[in-house]
Amino acid sequence: MNRLKQLTLGAALAAALVLHTPAQAHRSGASEASAGLSMLPVAISVVGPSAVLSAGVVFTVIAVEASVDGAVWVLESVATGVRCTVRLAGNAVGGLSVGVGTAVTASAVGAGMVLSAAGTAIAFIPNEVGKALLYNERVTR
Amino acid sequence: MSARRVVAGVVLAGLILALAIATAPAHAGQTCEQKAPDTQAITRGLALAGKVEQHLKGSSADVVVIARVGQDLREYGQRYSHLGFAYRDGEVWRVVHKLNECGTDTSAIFRQGLGEFFLDDPFDYEAGIVVPKPEVQAHLLAVLRDNGRLSRLHTPDYSMLAYVWSKKYQQSNQWALETLAMAEDADANSRDRAQSWLNLKGYKPATIHLSTFQRLGARVTQANIAFDDHPDKYRYSGRIYTVTADSVFLWLERSGLGSRPIAIR
Repeated sequence: MNRLKQLTLGAALAAALVLHTPAQAHRSGASEASAGLSMLPVAISVVGPSAVLSAGVVFTVIAVEASVDGAVWVLESVATGVRCTVRLAGNAVGGLSVGVGTAVTASAVGAGMVLSAAGTAIAFIPNEVGKALLYNERVTR
Repeated sequence: MSARRVVAGVVLAGLILALAIATAPAHAGQTCEQKAPDTQAITRGLALAGKVEQHLKGSSADVVVIARVGQDLREYGQRYSHLGFAYRDGEVWRVVHKLNECGTDTSAIFRQGLGEFFLDDPFDYEAGIVVPKPEVQAHLLAVLRDNGRLSRLHTPDYSMLAYVWSKKYQQSNQWALETLAMAEDADANSRDRAQSWLNLKGYKPATIHLSTFQRLGARVTQANIAFDDHPDKYRYSGRIYTVTADSVFLWLERSGLGSRPIAIR
């Protein structure tokens, strides 16, 4: 009985400690979970002048239309006023705090363009290299 | 800006990958935090994926064992946390690996791009690669293209620290190792037999030392860690024998089944 109590107390203390250090709790293993990219919406299409989506260009979101499959954002370049429409897929789109007036910055990576708002990546627009790097298929149920 | 130019603008088609992404598990990175990734993490992950792809495309290999540093395991003497198989599929490279569904005790096998593999909120941006010898690559390639064979030794019940010689649970690296055994020996068509083959071939798991405190804490708070598959004599002395990416790399090289690991950063 005493032993059981001690174990229970030990478990409770351990749980309390681990609960206060969540990062450590998830880093004690040898094999792991997934999958971060599902949190990053990927562009299905971008319609607009080809030069508008260049590295360093700052946009303002002027329209947001959400759907069950993703979202459509209309972006306007702060410098030139040129607009483009970005259609996004991904169930994470709805969780993003992107609304009319949000400032969005484009930055180039080898695989395409990353759109960011306040340092957080909000969408990825893959080029041909990027498309080759992305694929997701569940093999087992 | 003419209307014609606007209409004639770029259309970046990505329907296939969009569909693929839409079916991705609805959970976050390895810390299981529901947060949007920061720009730097995405940039670095994609850069590493691109570098690995270039390396693989320029190599003569068709299949490699590939690992990432998803977590900081230095405390346990391990560099890489997770491994799978990458293989040439026409013009592209794909990765097949087993993933635990965040915060649960179940898992599934996935075929993904190198992008997904390195965008999973890693601790460090480094890939570890071992090139199996040509016969092993050929055996693995046949399995990697066959979803039925990929599923054969998969046990959905998941424990991150599953005991190496038990069939109760199966963690990601363990699935990869047992599947390699099945590819190498047609008789290793059950987990029992695959484990016997690995034992016979001299595979040695890593020993992770965990205090009682750590064990209890992990079990109480995490769905994806259990210890009831470990023999009592090891479990209560804090010795956890499990399949790590590092131990697989060491064995592949030692057994002559694979090359010395290389790191790409």
